[in-house]
Amino acid sequence: MKFINLVLKSARRSKRRTALTVLSVAIAVFLFSALRAVLDGFNAATEASSSTRLVTIRSTSMIFNMPTSHVDTIRSVPGVQDVTYANWFGGIYKDPKNFFANIAIEPESYLRMYPEIIVSPEEKQAFLEDRTGCLVGSGLVKRYDWHVGDKIVLKPGIPYYGTQDYPFTIRGIYKSGSSAVDDQTMWFHWKYVDERGAVHGQVGWVVALLNNPDAATRVSQLIDEKFANSPNETKTDTEKQFQASFASMLGNLNLLLGSVALAVVITTLFVAGNTMAMSVRERTTEIAVMRTLGFQAVTIFLLVVGEGIVVSIVGGALGAFVARLIVNGEFLQAAGGFIPQFGVNNWNAVTGVGLGAVIGLLAALIPATMASRLKIVDALRRVA
Amino acid sequence: MGLIANYNLRSMIVRKGTAAMTAMGIAMVVAVFVMTLAIAQGFRSTLVASGSPENAIILRKGSTSENLSAVLKNQLPIIESLPQIAHGPDGRPLASAELLVIISLPRVTDNQPANVPLRGVGPKAYEVRSTLKFVEGRRFTPGTREINVGQQALTRFKGLALGSDVKFGSATWKVAGIFTAEDASFESEIWGDVDLMMPAFQRGGYQSVTAKMTDPSVFESLDAAIAADPRLDLKPQREPEYYADQSATTTTLIRVFATFVTVILSIGAVFGAMNTMYAAVAYRTREIGTLRALGFSRLRIVTAFLAESVALALVGGAIGCVLALPVHGLSTGTMNMASFSELAFKFRITPGLLLGGLLFSALMGAVGGLLPAIRAARIPVARALREI
Amino acid sequence: MALIELRDVTKSYRRDAIEIPVLDRVSISVPEGDFLGLMGPSGSGKSTLLNLLAGIDRPSRGSVRIGDTEISSLSERALAAWRARNIGFIFQLYNLIPVLTAFENVELPLLLTSLSKKQRRDHVMTALNIVGLGDRAQHYPRQLSGGQEQRVAIARAIVTDPKLLLADEPTGDLDAKSAGEVLTLLQRLNQEYKKTIVMVTHDPHAAERASHLLHLEKGTLVEQVKVG
Repeated sequence: MKFINLVLKSARRSKRRTALTVLSVAIAVFLFSALRAVLDGFNAATEASSSTRLVTIRSTSMIFNMPTSHVDTIRSVPGVQDVTYANWFGGIYKDPKNFFANIAIEPESYLRMYPEIIVSPEEKQAFLEDRTGCLVGSGLVKRYDWHVGDKIVLKPGIPYYGTQDYPFTIRGIYKSGSSAVDDQTMWFHWKYVDERGAVHGQVGWVVALLNNPDAATRVSQLIDEKFANSPNETKTDTEKQFQASFASMLGNLNLLLGSVALAVVITTLFVAGNTMAMSVRERTTEIAVMRTLGFQAVTIFLLVVGEGIVVSIVGGALGAFVARLIVNGEFLQAAGGFIPQFGVNNWNAVTGVGLGAVIGLLAALIPATMASRLKIVDALRRVA
Repeated sequence: MGLIANYNLRSMIVRKGTAAMTAMGIAMVVAVFVMTLAIAQGFRSTLVASGSPENAIILRKGSTSENLSAVLKNQLPIIESLPQIAHGPDGRPLASAELLVIISLPRVTDNQPANVPLRGVGPKAYEVRSTLKFVEGRRFTPGTREINVGQQALTRFKGLALGSDVKFGSATWKVAGIFTAEDASFESEIWGDVDLMMPAFQRGGYQSVTAKMTDPSVFESLDAAIAADPRLDLKPQREPEYYADQSATTTTLIRVFATFVTVILSIGAVFGAMNTMYAAVAYRTREIGTLRALGFSRLRIVTAFLAESVALALVGGAIGCVLALPVHGLSTGTMNMASFSELAFKFRITPGLLLGGLLFSALMGAVGGLLPAIRAARIPVARALREI
Repeated sequence: MALIELRDVTKSYRRDAIEIPVLDRVSISVPEGDFLGLMGPSGSGKSTLLNLLAGIDRPSRGSVRIGDTEISSLSERALAAWRARNIGFIFQLYNLIPVLTAFENVELPLLLTSLSKKQRRDHVMTALNIVGLGDRAQHYPRQLSGGQEQRVAIARAIVTDPKLLLADEPTGDLDAKSAGEVLTLLQRLNQEYKKTIVMVTHDPHAAERASHLLHLEKGTLVEQVKVG
């Protein structure tokens, strides 16, 4: 549109003020994108989770184990196609601060049921053949500079596994094929740690693959019925529901982060709106002149709003770009121990720019209305 | 200086629209600051309130947390016989052997399963932790399947009302009483007889022993006595220190988050303040020239504008504090990373926090107003007087 | 028929409860092609009169007809559109937009038309050439002298080829030489290009260039003088 030139040149009126406004919006969008990244990180695992896999845990709570006999019983339930199991080992690598998930699995069935764990056939074979072998995620490898063949020692964190050390050899590095599996986990053989532990023959959770995804509820009930009224009652859910309840434990993150994001936007509205109002106030004569030349009040309104939006979009783009740079960067990967898939994806970046535009629009509304309502003669008179 | 202050104050009032917006921007930042730190404060307070300086918590050597610790059954009488342990009026030692497990109960707010801490305690538990008071019902009878529920646990999780039957550990337990603990973490817990909990959860021993000492000063000798005994592979900690450590990870996490958000947000607000002050200076160029011509020094001008910026920011800061106040006392819960169980706590705004908020706003005002103030002082007098 | 016809025009302002009349039942007839000077002491209402002619203010009573249009009865929207097509306004303080070049300033009124970019360019350069500043098209107002700025403003006023040019103290802020140039330009626009001009002025030198003079005092016409 031919007015674009006017809008762009207007923004150059006070370079300092425009720069400060751009930066304010950039900051708001940066924070917003970062917060969204955290939220999405938590939700990603849930979103990507399978509805064809069921997870069975002790009904009392997930910290209690079940006897291995449960595995075969679950396998025999109609509707179950395949079964695997795992234990949370909770081991400590050198220092408790080095937190990452380390899990004992039934190797063949687990890798079969989780195609999202992507590892080369040679490394997979090496892992299966070595009882003390382990698979580590690409994220962990980056964090600790590990290589295939390295020896890793974990100290047990749970009394269940006694007090002695557990040495492992890295036999393969896996990549995660979906957000449902993060890339900072260590997997090893269940049999190995079970033998070495203080207590034997117990599994933490059992995963069953459904024949028919629509039968999830029915099969879950069938599984739980098998153990009802026994000392080891179970609770079975789809993997998706299981992940969701995990995410909910951290508190109402959605509400907290959403509120903070809202506060961020409101603050910026005040700041940006203030700037635009100042800019308009300085221009009263110019606006009066343009009205005299025949510009409609509504055109003036749109020009001010347009200017607000243009400046804010620049700010938004800047903020989104910086967010992407920092959040996706190496230095925040350490947070990945707690938060899977932490990053600003493309969609988030676009939303960030869009947010900038919205901020610009809202902040400009009142100043634009002020500008359009100006009485020509009063404004002209002010100068001389 | 009085003349300048008056002049600045009145000038602010004249441009009240702009001033108001700037103040509101700062108010928002301070509000976020206070509210997020109130979360950290509340979390920490709850855990710190759980510790009494008279008590020591004894865990296995090397264990960082009670749920990763183990105390053998036969170690309990040894501990109870130590001279540093206080005795009750009935002559029995004030020590409680405990086991902390987690059971899953649906949350009232979203019906999702929550990890609720269940603590098996010894018969002297209520004497060791003297801040506990019963608001409904009574203590559970030792040797029976009765349980007591903390006030916060009652409001946050389903099915814990007085008289309810709660099913876990392949048995049914009856709620015999509800207790408060002056906002300590125990209020998020369910308590029962430890000797019944052990078999119910297939455990062979305790995890910890919490004991009241004869006097807080005997802690060192208690520590030495336990270290000297080869039968005890345990280590005592003062209860307040233990809980402070427990809260450290989560508290730090919240504080880092709060600081990150508010610092970045404050940059935006500072830009806003800067803009406002630059405009104020530009608008009042002729006045400044006049003041300088009258003999007011550059330093006085800088100080005056700086003071104006800080004053405006303080107004914003005060508004922000007021905006944040309603959250004080709001109950919420989160997972305590150290124990993997859900801990309820209240937002806690302290006078220190409010003062911090005000200082923070003053800082924002000072930083935002500095460059414009310097500019105000540097305008050549003659040029200033010529400005319209 | 006269181009401009004011009939019984009164304009008053309210200050609290009091009505202050600025123009009191003024009737004027201005033929097409005239160069009219409006003179009078401060507060006589001459600028107000000019504003009424420009359609940027409305009379409290009376009618203002310019060409075929009774502008006192038009809506705000219609007035704005009418102004764009029919009026060229020249201010005392030039009022050029500082962030736009001379070219862009002159182009401003054309943005309200449906002319193509090339057509706009042609009109702008023509206008700038008439005022003698074709070579300064890319300069910003701060790079021009006062006299040059006013001439750019005049170019802006004529770029839409309006029937009527209204000038409010056009030489008020200029030195004698620049003032002379501007006035010569206005005369040329009137005589060569047949523009009707109404000019408010204090300056007797400016008054000399007009073909007619009207004096206003306290809101009423005092005398009409034909400059010979």
